[in-house]
Amino acid sequence: MTAIATNIPKSATPPLERAYARLGVLLIAPTILVFSLVIVYPLLAAIYLSVFSIYTPTLQGGFVGADNYIELLTGKAFWNSLKVTLIWTVGTLTLQIVAGVGLALLLHQNIWFRSLARSLVLFPYFLSTVVAVLVWKWLFNDLYGALNQGLMQLGIIDMPLDWLGSMPNAMIGVILVGAWKFFPFVVIAVLARLQTIPENLYEAARIDGAGPIARFFDVTLPQLRSVLTVIILLRAIWDFKEFDLLYLLTGGGPVTSTQTLSLLVYQEAFGLNQMGQAAAYSVGMMLVMLVFMVLYIRQTKEKNA
Amino acid sequence: MANVTFRNVHKAFGTYVALENLDLDIRDGEFVALLGPSGCGKSTTLRMLAGLDFPTRGEILIGDRVVNDLAPGKRDIAMVFQSYALYPHMTVGENIGYPLKKRGIKGRAREEAVQKAAALLQLEPLLDRKPKQLSGGQQQRVALGRALVREPQVFLLDEPLSNLDAKLRSYMRAELIELHRRLGKTMVYVTHDQLEAMTMASRIAVMHAGLVQQFDTPDAIYNRPANRFVAGFIGTPPMNQIEGAVDGGDFVVAGHRIPIDRTAFVDSLRDGPAVLGVRPEAITIATGEGLPATVRLAENTGHETIVTLELPDHSRIAARVEAARRLDVGHNVALRFDPAAIHLFEATENGARLNRDETPASVIPMRSK
Repeated sequence: MTAIATNIPKSATPPLERAYARLGVLLIAPTILVFSLVIVYPLLAAIYLSVFSIYTPTLQGGFVGADNYIELLTGKAFWNSLKVTLIWTVGTLTLQIVAGVGLALLLHQNIWFRSLARSLVLFPYFLSTVVAVLVWKWLFNDLYGALNQGLMQLGIIDMPLDWLGSMPNAMIGVILVGAWKFFPFVVIAVLARLQTIPENLYEAARIDGAGPIARFFDVTLPQLRSVLTVIILLRAIWDFKEFDLLYLLTGGGPVTSTQTLSLLVYQEAFGLNQMGQAAAYSVGMMLVMLVFMVLYIRQTKEKNA
Repeated sequence: MANVTFRNVHKAFGTYVALENLDLDIRDGEFVALLGPSGCGKSTTLRMLAGLDFPTRGEILIGDRVVNDLAPGKRDIAMVFQSYALYPHMTVGENIGYPLKKRGIKGRAREEAVQKAAALLQLEPLLDRKPKQLSGGQQQRVALGRALVREPQVFLLDEPLSNLDAKLRSYMRAELIELHRRLGKTMVYVTHDQLEAMTMASRIAVMHAGLVQQFDTPDAIYNRPANRFVAGFIGTPPMNQIEGAVDGGDFVVAGHRIPIDRTAFVDSLRDGPAVLGVRPEAITIATGEGLPATVRLAENTGHETIVTLELPDHSRIAARVEAARRLDVGHNVALRFDPAAIHLFEATENGARLNRDETPASVIPMRSK
């Protein structure tokens, strides 16, 4: 037995294993191909475009080198949009997490309308953004919106507020609608995790003398930590590049007060017809997002380890 | 004083009755096992004592204090769970120290208590580890450490050894006996494993269908089972139960007569249907005189052989013989029962035992109302 085994060189892969390896490559090839077409090519194209000055309708233009990037670094547009994007992301994400965790905790209790409430809470997430925005635009409307009407009847304001046409109301408005639209994702993820926390841990904590608040901080929250990290990272990435909700609600206005980076890229490419400059902005945006991505990959790796 | 008393405790979940009229007096410092098959109400009993479930009616006392309305943390008890229920994000030291932390014990006092508990359970080198870095046996010891760190009046243990492998289990059994001896605290131990109950407990409450069937010493439970359930639950294999009838000085099974001593049984024993109980080790397998039987199976475990025998009425019983004894399957044999080891039970489903014992009061010493 040992004599036969030592005759085979150590580096040689057994034939069967080689065949499996070939089959493996064959099986993942279609995915790699599609991935290259829809992700790698556009990415490289964007980087390529960003060193040209291109007029969008004709896609004609000349090489400008780093000019577009110099404009990005020295001009106000990119930095203003980055600031707006960060305010929007942090604001809406904070609200989503707070409301999401709170509601998940509530729905985890044994309340009689639990199953109905669990389905209803998903409603904003299922609703098409266009429909949701239309409804909210009506609610926000300064002439006949229900929001102003309600606030006036409660005596909080004397005059109707211009919700989407002035600052900081417009930013508050988009943050609120964003939170309303996306918090169900947080509810679902947190609720799923809550259900896996062993009841015994709470019982042990009760016997150890922990009250409800101590049980939340000593049992629930540590158990939610990993899922919350992933949710925060994912939602941060998604909120950071959110387009349709903001575009439909304010279009980036008033002026550029709610113009996030996604809206800036769009405006540059199709409003000002500067595809090259837009590509440079989008590369800049991608670099910022790379930070989130690295954090996310690190987090998932940590979990698998 | 930390005796534990259940006074007429009743527990129902909706229409399902988990416990009926439970009366238990557990003495201070006693090690009591609640033993029974799953669904018998033993865990419910323990959880009510812990304050995790609430009795539908009746009173639970720890010492002289009625604890029905007391939160679990205020009952001066500690509990070890089957799953250990260690806080996964805390180190071993933090886990053990947690009950003290929640009671406002800080700094050195807490550290010293944790060290003391860790020393008792040989956990010192593991204090900085997280639970998931520990083996099952180590996690078990951490759970014990968390229970004993604040020196509670009563320890509650819910099948603490059932997640361990056989070898570790017998080791931990010895450890627990030793721990109980050293601490001298009241312990209530829930298990479905009769070996654990028999070896560790000073008294065992055998439970079935929400009722305590017998509450007595392991010796009494084994030798004087109160009824057919206890007889059939304790022992591996359990006591044989042969259906037949009492007729004068004999017990008749399928036309064959087994002589019995009527004076060994209660006066109320009448001729008619009854169940004869005999332990596998009280059966002699011979030829000639005796109850005829056929050998159906012989299982040699190394130090003994368990023989399955078929009686003339086709019921089967088990006998225990020495390992060297060779018995061929299909052979006809004659069985003789040790007269002193014969039990008689009422012929009902869970018939009471009809033997007259020297100490009859030890059987179901439940509180008189």
